[in-house]
Amino acid sequence: MSMVKLVNVRKSFGDLEVLKGVNLEVQQGEVVCIIGASGSGKSTMLRCLNQLERISDGEIYIEDELSDKRANNKDLMKIDAAKVQSLCTDLGMVFQNFNLFPHLTVIDNVTIAPLIVKKTDKKIAETRALDLLSMVGLSQKKDEYPSRLSGGQQQRVAIARALAMDPKIMMFDEPTSALDPELVGEVLATMRQLAEKGMTMLIVTHEIGFAREVADRVIFMDAGVICEEGTPEEVLLNPKEERTKSFLNKIL
Amino acid sequence: MVEKGFVCSLTGVRVQNFYDEGKINVLTEIQLWAIFNGTIVTLEIAIVAIIFGAIFGVVVALGRLSKNKVANALSWFYIWFFRGTPLLLQLFIIYYAIPIIYLDATGITFEINPMICAFVAFSLNATAYLAEIIRAAIESIDGGQMEAAKALGMSYRQAMTKIIIPQTYKRLVAPLGNELIMLLKDTSLVSTIALFDLLRTTKTMASATGSWIYYIYAAAIYLFLTTIIQVVFDMMEKKLGIYER
Repeated sequence: MSMVKLVNVRKSFGDLEVLKGVNLEVQQGEVVCIIGASGSGKSTMLRCLNQLERISDGEIYIEDELSDKRANNKDLMKIDAAKVQSLCTDLGMVFQNFNLFPHLTVIDNVTIAPLIVKKTDKKIAETRALDLLSMVGLSQKKDEYPSRLSGGQQQRVAIARALAMDPKIMMFDEPTSALDPELVGEVLATMRQLAEKGMTMLIVTHEIGFAREVADRVIFMDAGVICEEGTPEEVLLNPKEERTKSFLNKIL
Repeated sequence: MVEKGFVCSLTGVRVQNFYDEGKINVLTEIQLWAIFNGTIVTLEIAIVAIIFGAIFGVVVALGRLSKNKVANALSWFYIWFFRGTPLLLQLFIIYYAIPIIYLDATGITFEINPMICAFVAFSLNATAYLAEIIRAAIESIDGGQMEAAKALGMSYRQAMTKIIIPQTYKRLVAPLGNELIMLLKDTSLVSTIALFDLLRTTKTMASATGSWIYYIYAAAIYLFLTTIIQVVFDMMEKKLGIYER
């Protein structure tokens, strides 16, 4: 089953075209790592999927259902807002800067969206939150405020928070880029765990070693288009494109 | 009515008595009550204004932040007018001009309660200032917070009420205390619309008796009240900032 599909997606910020016709389809259970230089449109692509940014042109499907279709910045479909919202909540997102809610304790960070968006019963939400927190290894921190946690711990809470909405696809936007090197491992371990459970994942990352290990498919983006894609061996070890080679040479 | 009797008691017989007995500086019971009542007037206006100002301030601030052009323009205009004209003028418009406009329009005179006028004028004015304070506080919250809320499926309204606005509380305490102190002192303007606030009460006593000591009493009471505000708001700030380590 196709979980997300982008058809000829373009996105411009004013005169600057960031996505120049992206086509991508991700199957259920697939782990896709997206690599590329900054400014190549990786993050923008993720943000377009859950409509934090609206595309300028193209179509987006989530679980084979159309969630956005535009041409020249015009909304062509006028899809029901509630429908869009429910499709987008199937996409969990983890940000580079964690973006935990600082005024809420760890457990409240995890329960707030189920409580107010899904109107889940408080007891059920809390039980589920505790399960998720113990999965990321932080159940003993449940009553702390985020400011008292390390970056790695904050990011693991952010992963638990996203999982609390029972997303079908998890998107990670450079989840370890803001972390001190010694804290990267714990976040990657949590993500690996998710991948092993069969979660469909879209990961923008600079961790090439991690990509090689967990990805089913690696995508190299450059200047707003998908330049090369394939298995980790194909893209990371034997890249065909010149641009992929020069990028990998720079970061390895 | 009470106020008229009170003025007579200050300017008439009593004055004579003070000088006769040679104890200008000691407050009589009537004066004490008058000062107490003046303090209450002052406090009432400041507190009513800060409460209504904070409530409507949120509304006007959200209007300023809104993408809706009409809401945006209305809020902008509101702030432009009430921040751009003197509070005293606003007080005059409400107390003096509106009854005349009403009379011209309908031919009916109506009694306007000066206290209500003061509540309205001070609340309207405080709303304008607080709206800007609240808007700035909301804008100071990192944009990632709204994005995280939206990515979790929250609506704009849910994100605002549960995520963004609660984070502004701590940042609002200090400017809110500031505004309350300003309001408290600015209430002295109501002496122009036949109200006896703290300052007017003490000034009347001072001119009636020729003693300056009443100004000291007034200063002491203002300082006492502003000190309480300062201490309480400091405590609130610490308490609300508990999550910031």
